Amino acid sequence: MTSWLYIKEQEIAAMASPPKNPAYLRYAKRMLPLSVLYVAAIALATRLVPDNAPASATTVGLALLPGFAVLGWIWAMGRLLVELQDEYLRMLEVRKFLVATGVTLAVCSVWGILELFSPFVPRMPVFLVFPLWALGLFVGVVVNRFSQGGGQGL
Amino acid sequence: MNNRLKVLRAERGWSQQDLATRLEVSRQSVNAIETGRYDPSLPLAFRIADLFGMAIEDIFQRD
Repeated sequence: MTSWLYIKEQEIAAMASPPKNPAYLRYAKRMLPLSVLYVAAIALATRLVPDNAPASATTVGLALLPGFAVLGWIWAMGRLLVELQDEYLRMLEVRKFLVATGVTLAVCSVWGILELFSPFVPRMPVFLVFPLWALGLFVGVVVNRFSQGGGQGL
Repeated sequence: MNNRLKVLRAERGWSQQDLATRLEVSRQSVNAIETGRYDPSLPLAFRIADLFGMAIEDIFQRD
């Protein structure tokens, strides 16, 4: 009975402990400066490029800056999957990515069809697709929680 | 798939973290395998079997 309680306590502790895997730390170290770059680039482009500005090398370059940060995010997420040596944690991350992709496809497809057939539905800017996918990651976390119980991941 | 990991670990007085360290995986992985929420890959199953000095089929059984 005592050993059973001991094992149960360990199960609960395992569920409560945050991930300390070096791959997660590297991921966080990559994502943080990229996120700062993204926000700064958006702020810079908003400040320097007027809404009705003609297309020029400068305006296009400024508009592309946040895009490079997004490419960096995608690269960092890919590296996370490559560098996660723990197969269970890697599976949880892949599941989160799949759930996020499913959520994004579902929302964009349904919204797109509504845009086609209903004049009252506002057009969804395409740049929102990535933030939507990131929101889908949270849905993935919830799915992992309910299906895996102790599943952590970021 | 059923497994005897929890029993084998308890027999040796190892915590989940002890076993995870020996297997070079996370404690979450050990927990998930023990509770049957995750079936390990063949390479990891071999590492587990080697650690306990047993055959894979003596640790993991069909449902």
